[in-house]
Amino acid sequence: MVTGAGGPRRRLLPRGYGFAIAGIAVGMAGLVALGALADRISRFIDGGHRFVLGQISVAGAGLGTGAGFTAGGLLPKRTIDAIRRVPGVALVQAQVMLPLNPSTSELFSVNQELVLGVDLGVPTPNRNYPSFPIAHGRDLAPGDRGRVVVGAELAASRTLRPPASLRIGDRDFEVVGILERLLTAPDRFAIVPIEDARDLWLALDPTVRALYRTGGTLAADDLNTGAAVGWTSGVDPDALAARIRREVAGVNVAAPGEVARQLSASTAFFRWLMVAVAGIGLLIGGLSLSNTVAAATFERIRDFGIKQALGASDGQLLGEVLRESLTVSLAGGVIGTVLAILAGLAIDARAAQAGQQLFLFSGRLVAFAVGFAAALGAVAGVYASVRILRVPPAEAIRRGA
Amino acid sequence: MLDVLRGVDVTLTPGEMLAVVGRSGSGKSTLLNLLGCLDRSDGGELWFGDERLTGAGRGSRARFRGRHLGFVFQAYHLIPELTVWENVLLAARYVGRARAEAEEAARKLLQRLGVAARVAHYPPTLSGGEQQRVAFCRAMLNDPAVILADEPTGNLDADNAGVLLAELRARAHDGGSAVLLVTHSAELAHSADRVLTLADGQLTPVGA
Repeated sequence: MVTGAGGPRRRLLPRGYGFAIAGIAVGMAGLVALGALADRISRFIDGGHRFVLGQISVAGAGLGTGAGFTAGGLLPKRTIDAIRRVPGVALVQAQVMLPLNPSTSELFSVNQELVLGVDLGVPTPNRNYPSFPIAHGRDLAPGDRGRVVVGAELAASRTLRPPASLRIGDRDFEVVGILERLLTAPDRFAIVPIEDARDLWLALDPTVRALYRTGGTLAADDLNTGAAVGWTSGVDPDALAARIRREVAGVNVAAPGEVARQLSASTAFFRWLMVAVAGIGLLIGGLSLSNTVAAATFERIRDFGIKQALGASDGQLLGEVLRESLTVSLAGGVIGTVLAILAGLAIDARAAQAGQQLFLFSGRLVAFAVGFAAALGAVAGVYASVRILRVPPAEAIRRGA
Repeated sequence: MLDVLRGVDVTLTPGEMLAVVGRSGSGKSTLLNLLGCLDRSDGGELWFGDERLTGAGRGSRARFRGRHLGFVFQAYHLIPELTVWENVLLAARYVGRARAEAEEAARKLLQRLGVAARVAHYPPTLSGGEQQRVAFCRAMLNDPAVILADEPTGNLDADNAGVLLAELRARAHDGGSAVLLVTHSAELAHSADRVLTLADGQLTPVGA
């Protein structure tokens, strides 16, 4: 009596593929992790590009005042008004940008912690960031004083969450909101009303303080390190920047195109690093995967011969190998991706204590990794099968014995 | 190039059990592989009834093997990653045989050969005799017109060898299959209806 058989079990895979799946998983974990590192760098750079391309940044002529992209000389109110009158200008928002910690924030230009004071009475002119998305709490509102919205990395590094307070200079600010993680510069911003930023600036800079308090012509509205300028629809922002430069005296104008080119030049190292990291990931992961699948297929050369003796056609065998290769590759790809994500999250949990995030596991990356694994696995399996099928069945059985 | 077989002319008749004997390296397995379309010859012709197999395409040869041939190897050649049940039914998969019918035939064969209790086991856990009986079930599943057995009892003890030999004889004499047995064992060859000797690439009747 034949019992317990119940028909052939339709398994996706015969036994013995565990090692192949493990090998693929390791290679794919490496690929996904390196891809996530590359994506993280890419997002940082692209975010910067997106920001500078969304506005014309203007600072006062000269050196030594302020920080970040508004670094330059003082930009008094009359100059801002002059900019506002230039044809093509839609919005001008006065800003004050200062280092959060004057003793250390200037050391790393791409990683500064900055105080950004914004004129809340004027809509943000940046076309690409009309407002920063808020993860917790709320955005600043006109009339706010002594309140701050904090970038995600800055908040994480200081474990801030509303309600909380943040000490800037010698003042405590009420944290009313935390920005979503943008993976670019604003992640390390402390955004405050411009009036508070001016007070901080005066407290920080004895020269400005002296000028302001000597009873001269410098009013509070004149204490701006720069301005963000928006343009009306249809206007070429680079042409408008050139016009502002021509028509308004005493300004340093950063045209979006020029800044983007400078940013590209300054971040070229990181871009190439990203390309190299992604390329190495693809190479290692791809070689590991294709080698494992091909080796697993070549190991079954005797099975090919036996199945041919039983009447299997080339098409049937190729179909079997294709199905098995796809299943093995997908299983290895998915397991490797999960391993990479778990490892990345664990590392990022530690890095978050310093306000950092090293990995970016995007849906695009995961989809690419799994698709790459499946496609390469299928190609490797079919390649190995075609090679085996060139061998006569008798020889295949003999070689595998 | 080495001429293994020269001027070999052999006809297998339904219901006949033919043994080919010869020393190791005499070309017995080569002959069996050529007759079983597992290899191609440099010359000569191969016919099955009025179907000319010489020059047939890979697909035609695969179909021929699946529908008309049953192989019994000395080393069993079961697939170790598949269970006994899966191994036996493999023979039906490639010829497009109805599943229920193939399963019924597999059950009968496994019971007849005394390995029905082992269906869920994997080949490496079976004894040599059990593995050969499973391999025999797989070879017989599609009721082949021609059975090609290469040293089928070479790795078996006397009891298992006796069982297998009796099955092969029954297939020939009761089932009408043509059985070609290649062996270097004179004792095994004597149980065949006709015995040919392969030496120096040529077949000659024993005693001729």
